[in-house]
Amino acid sequence: MDALAVLIPLLPFIAAALIGVGQFSGILQGEASETVTATIANWAISMACLLALVLLGADWQGKNKGSLGLGHWLNSDTLDIPVNFITTGFNVVLAALFALLLVLILRFAVNYMHREAGFHRFFFIFSLFASAMLLLVLSGNAVGTFFGWEIAGVCSYLLIAYAYNRPIAAMNATRIFVTNRIGDAGFILGIGLSYSWGGSVSWQQLNAAQLSTGEATGIALSFMIAAFAKSAQLPFTPWLARAMEGPTPSSAAFYGAVMIHAGVFLVCLLAPVFEQAPFAMAILAVIGGATALYSFIVGLTQTDVKSSLVFATSGQLGLMFLACGLGYWQLAAWHLCAHAIVRCYQFLTAPSLMHNVLDNPIKPVTPAVTALRWAYIASLQRFWLDQITDWTLVRPIRRLAQDLSYFDDHVVDHIMGVPLSTISSLASLAQVKEQTLAARIDKDDSHFALGTGIAGKLTEWVAAIMHWFEDRFVLRGIGKDVLHYGRKLGHAANKFELLILRPRYLVLFVFITLLMVF
Amino acid sequence: MIGDGFPLLSTVILLPLLGAIAVGLSRNLHWAKVIAVAVAIIELLLTVMVRWAFDPANSGTFQLLERYAWIPSLNSEFLVGVDGISVLFLPMTALLTLMAISASWTAVQHLQRLHFALLLALEGITIGVFSALDTMLFFLFWELTLPPIFFLIGLWGIGPKRRGAAMKYTLFMLFGGVPLLFAFIILALNPAQAMDGAIPYGLCFNLETLLASPLPDNLQALVFLLLLLGFAVKAPLIPFHTWLPTAAMEGPAQLTALLMGLKLGIYGLLRFALPLAPSAALEYSWVLGILGAITLIYGGLIALQQSNLRRLLAYASISHVGLVIIGISSLTMQGIQGAILQLFNFALIASSLMLLAGFIQQRFASTEAIHLGGLAKTMPRLTCFYFLFVLASIGVPGTNGFPAELLLIIGALTAHPGLGIAALAGAVLGAAYMFAFTRRAFFGPITQSAVLHAQDLRPRELALLGVPALLVLAFGFFPEGVLDLNRGAAEAWLSHLLDQPSIDGGAMPAGEDAL
Repeated sequence: MDALAVLIPLLPFIAAALIGVGQFSGILQGEASETVTATIANWAISMACLLALVLLGADWQGKNKGSLGLGHWLNSDTLDIPVNFITTGFNVVLAALFALLLVLILRFAVNYMHREAGFHRFFFIFSLFASAMLLLVLSGNAVGTFFGWEIAGVCSYLLIAYAYNRPIAAMNATRIFVTNRIGDAGFILGIGLSYSWGGSVSWQQLNAAQLSTGEATGIALSFMIAAFAKSAQLPFTPWLARAMEGPTPSSAAFYGAVMIHAGVFLVCLLAPVFEQAPFAMAILAVIGGATALYSFIVGLTQTDVKSSLVFATSGQLGLMFLACGLGYWQLAAWHLCAHAIVRCYQFLTAPSLMHNVLDNPIKPVTPAVTALRWAYIASLQRFWLDQITDWTLVRPIRRLAQDLSYFDDHVVDHIMGVPLSTISSLASLAQVKEQTLAARIDKDDSHFALGTGIAGKLTEWVAAIMHWFEDRFVLRGIGKDVLHYGRKLGHAANKFELLILRPRYLVLFVFITLLMVF
Repeated sequence: MIGDGFPLLSTVILLPLLGAIAVGLSRNLHWAKVIAVAVAIIELLLTVMVRWAFDPANSGTFQLLERYAWIPSLNSEFLVGVDGISVLFLPMTALLTLMAISASWTAVQHLQRLHFALLLALEGITIGVFSALDTMLFFLFWELTLPPIFFLIGLWGIGPKRRGAAMKYTLFMLFGGVPLLFAFIILALNPAQAMDGAIPYGLCFNLETLLASPLPDNLQALVFLLLLLGFAVKAPLIPFHTWLPTAAMEGPAQLTALLMGLKLGIYGLLRFALPLAPSAALEYSWVLGILGAITLIYGGLIALQQSNLRRLLAYASISHVGLVIIGISSLTMQGIQGAILQLFNFALIASSLMLLAGFIQQRFASTEAIHLGGLAKTMPRLTCFYFLFVLASIGVPGTNGFPAELLLIIGALTAHPGLGIAALAGAVLGAAYMFAFTRRAFFGPITQSAVLHAQDLRPRELALLGVPALLVLAFGFFPEGVLDLNRGAAEAWLSHLLDQPSIDGGAMPAGEDAL
């Protein structure tokens, strides 16, 4: 039965490829072929769901071996990245649950997206996403999981930018992708550390590896960054609210039911490593608790249905992380499954809810919060997290980029020498002669000392510099020039100092020093 | 037809040169174009045959060797051969040239014959660079790349300052050539002095002999730094990079695609700089790593600031070069294999993006974000290709960028964790600068009437981008195809560096602790 694990992510991938090629070549286009697209996606994902349920049944019957290996994806020295799948336990449960929810959402989307301009595009991305998520939960090694992790992220980007002609949607999509990329960097760091300390990128071997507390903490923290970014924990929480630009079925699939849980899943998968790292567990609990609290307070003042759902989601995820951090892995896993189902339902009904409550205004904010003015403002402003990120990260980096760009154009390029355009350079020998002759006439300091050879030239140059110095500074005393040059120099020094003392440079230097010490 | 004795490598070097002459001499313009394409296609087939004739099991040794007397008085020979590091660059060069020729099929309107002749000549010379095993021959090919590039930028450039750009490129490269020549001369003199040979006859330019007889330690540092300087200009590394953005802005897209796709500078570092001065390379690998890290972050930050696609691609390319250098400096199998794989990727990704920028330039006479906006609406196919190549360039799984980036970062993390973290920061920056431009140029409402009436990719352009797109996906899912070829070569390369008979008593991995 283990072999089914391959087909579960593969079928939706084939569907995505078919729809993608069909749309690219212009075969699948417009309303006429909507049924074709929907049928392909529906069949593939339904079959995947069926297979996942069979796999789950087989696992409960005890007929699965637990893992399935299919050769190697990449091999370099001792780094060996297999293509393998886990076919037992929590992974299979999640695969079945996610596949089931994806089928429901897909069914919903067929009608919901009817006559939308990007109908085919939606189903292409959705099938690809289904394939990525199923790979994520079933893969037996970190690189395979990262495959799904990152492709799901790209799909999320593409669906947030679904209405790409709206600048805000495009803006939010970009911002979310870059935020998530920080988590991805954490994931890759985790893969690298697992390889160099644990000796393997397979989850099962990594979990069984002998790690010191420090090593376990390093690996756990790296994967934790990835999990926090994907599951919208502090300080990454604000991206989730920006993600509501996509069509409702995509919100349900990505941020209600499926993708948002990937972080908790990752932490649960690595439970044995986390158990060896008390510090990482503590951080898990603290951040989880803080996010739950934050989401609760901010959620109190949300007045539209999707943002309330968003903060409810991140709050519940925070509770799951809290449970993980306290060591209640089983509880977190159950919580995850239950939450996925409830939230999927809530997101899918959100549009009809909005439709129904049109004349029925939402309940005003709790008086307990309105009484505390500062709490009310903080909650409304979502604790200024977005602004704080802007001030501490986005803007300094932009400014640094600006400064460097100026530096590159005006300093490096000039020092390296910008050759004159050939148009303004000399064309003929006659011009050279003319210039050498003409130049002599109006030069007041004719070359008195003309040297030949290296020594002669050196003497000549030294003499010229001495002469210039004598002429400008000693003979004329404190003349206009000195003041002028002095002032210019002072300005330049001042500017340089101001620039270098900007927080962004200080932080940069500290960062560079840390890297060096590391 | 082609047996063991057939001089395959000389053929692939000479065929494009002869083709260039034929194109230049033909009277009929149409026939000239046909000859150019025919030669490029035959060349591609021949280079694929080179890959066929190459035995991956012995990829660490030079194969398909050919040796002819060239300058007997200097003891310099026409010696060519390929190993696992260089073998794939031959088909890549041929493929890129074919792409460049078909991209400029209608885009070039004046002096067409000369244009196609120069492209073919450049192809032959570049293949010469990749297969030369005699340092003098290598230097000859290296410098010979200059004239075609000078004329290609100067005559068919798209910017107003193309002449200046051509001059700038040439001066930079000439500057880089000087230290190279010095280093090669020092290297050639060494065996002569060691064996008390007479100077002109005892000179040695043969790469294999030079590899077998390392320099004394005091000279190694000098040679390493000279070679590093020479190749850093071409790579390009900070601060010798300013020619690339200028060339990207002023030069024709098909040529810039070649310049950004074929990283001769890094190839030179891999082939000559590190192996020829092994103990210095070990000692100074951290210098290389830090240079790489600075280039990576510096290029990435400046790319964040660009509003023009061509300039953005130039800085992105600089940033990627930094990552490859970090990988090489790690001196681990993952780093080296990742570096070779990434060099292979450049030929597909960077050049395709540049050609794509060329198509945009042809349609709107600009690649500035402010003149675009909302391209996804009217040019969906171009946008699809753009996305695929951008995802590959930032290393998203499923594309060939991912295995290379993963190997490079793992290599860096195991050797110098600090550099590994810089590489990760570069990966985040990469997504930021690429998608910031995408947002402005491809998304958003359509503001220009030219964009509203834009024509999507034509069949020729589709076919042209389709081939690299398929390869990007194929090697993304099956990277072993490339890695198998260079595994033996990378092992031999590393053991040459790491297992050298240590003269100064076991202070070998000094470079590791220096950070």
